[in-house]
Amino acid sequence: MFDTFSEKKFLLKQLVKRDLTSKYKDSALGILWSFFNPLLIMLVFTAIFSMLFGRSIDNFPVYFLSGRVIYDFYSAATKGAMNSIRRNGNILKKIYIPKYMFSVSAICYEFINFLISFVILFGVMLITSASFHITALFAIVPIFLLFVLIFGVGLILAVCNTYFSDIGYLYNVFLLVLMYASALFYPMEIVPSKVQIIFSLNPVYVAVSCFRECVVYGVIPNITSLAYLATFSLTTFLIGVILFSIYEKKLTLEL
Amino acid sequence: MGLIDKIKGVFIKDENRLILDDSDEEIAISVNHLTMEFKVTKDKIDTLKEYVIRTIKRNKKGKEKVRVLEDINFNVYKGDRVGILGFNGAGKSTLLKILAGIYEPTQGSITINGKVAPLLELGAGFDKNYTGKNNIYLNGAFLSMDEDFINRKYDEILEFSELGEYINYPVKNYSSGMRAKLGFSVATLVEPDILIIDEILSVGDIKFRKKSSEKIKSMMSEGVTVLLVSHSIGQIREICDKCIWIENGHLIMEGEANEICDAYVRSAKSGKK
Repeated sequence: MFDTFSEKKFLLKQLVKRDLTSKYKDSALGILWSFFNPLLIMLVFTAIFSMLFGRSIDNFPVYFLSGRVIYDFYSAATKGAMNSIRRNGNILKKIYIPKYMFSVSAICYEFINFLISFVILFGVMLITSASFHITALFAIVPIFLLFVLIFGVGLILAVCNTYFSDIGYLYNVFLLVLMYASALFYPMEIVPSKVQIIFSLNPVYVAVSCFRECVVYGVIPNITSLAYLATFSLTTFLIGVILFSIYEKKLTLEL
Repeated sequence: MGLIDKIKGVFIKDENRLILDDSDEEIAISVNHLTMEFKVTKDKIDTLKEYVIRTIKRNKKGKEKVRVLEDINFNVYKGDRVGILGFNGAGKSTLLKILAGIYEPTQGSITINGKVAPLLELGAGFDKNYTGKNNIYLNGAFLSMDEDFINRKYDEILEFSELGEYINYPVKNYSSGMRAKLGFSVATLVEPDILIIDEILSVGDIKFRKKSSEKIKSMMSEGVTVLLVSHSIGQIREICDKCIWIENGHLIMEGEANEICDAYVRSAKSGKK
């Protein structure tokens, strides 16, 4: 069962497809909502916050959106992975399927949404005539590290949430705190310098700022932030994999 | 088992279920001292708040352990067709689920030689908003088939399921019989060494029932090892050559099919009186 790579790949493809179709099943625009949803949210946020912080930030829509896509990917993908085992409990109790496949598929599904929101980001950059930089290609590095982080956090949360369903509610609050601590819509300069150190420990903020440096400002992010993000992500990933391996077989009994 | 092995087992290959026993190649399934316990609490704590409060107040009710299976031992040789008998709640389905890899046994071990096809519940992974066609692919993926395989077999499935035009309708509009037929058609597509069947032979109308039992028989004629749970004694006598009788999680009798069936029927009758 599921020994070959092609079987796993096909399962992953089917699961992602199921997520994509089931989310918007009764809507007229269907999958286009994956595109419109972030676009509309971006417009609302830009309208509100550019009044507040617009003067201190050049090209506020791009500044906001570049942070927002990273944060959205992190929050949606970790939440998806967290609920993946519980949501598919009915299937897991009847068919043998490697459980991590559900968590991986939830993350892959959000990755597709993330790629769609990229289109919006580049569209907004074109409209606001922001300059494009060759360093944007380097953004692959922080995105990859973020991906590793998401896998780790997702696996940990998937196990915890299967045992205690209120981890999900707690995590929602945590995500809200994380959003305010990621400098999505305000400039870092308004934060007192002592608190800035705490911010720089937040891996999502580090990912956001590295991404911005690559895409918006056209500089290669400094190596210390990247090294910090890499260490944090890999450690979380390892913990996630170990935790998941220990509890994988017991999860069906909790469903 | 070391941690590294465990991680390998989960993410790379599911080797811990398939410990190949070279000493006896003829054994298809070997079950050794298998015990399965479910933790049951009368008031299940599944929120963190409750867990913390109860821990502080120290009135956590001890989790009761319910032994569903206790010290089960048997061997199934290649080509055997084994029927599993037992009243409701005896632990038959749990045994099959352990063999299918869904549950991990509390104690003991199982050894399986060959590719297993568990036909436990038909159409378990169906998405009701999907059309029949999409569900064939989705369900196939759940049963660890790959895309080429389903593409090749698609027409065969469609023909066997007798759904015709309805295959392009969403499954939510299907009758339960149609759903079962579709599930059966997908699930029996695999070419397994070991077939595990849990009371699914009684699906569909009389026409389909005949067809499905023929399908199972044709699969068995190719030398497949079969484990069958059924409440129909006639069916077990017809299909199986060996039998296992489980009651309250204990293995009561094991042996030639007709013999066990007779004993089982006798006990059922005496139980009634």
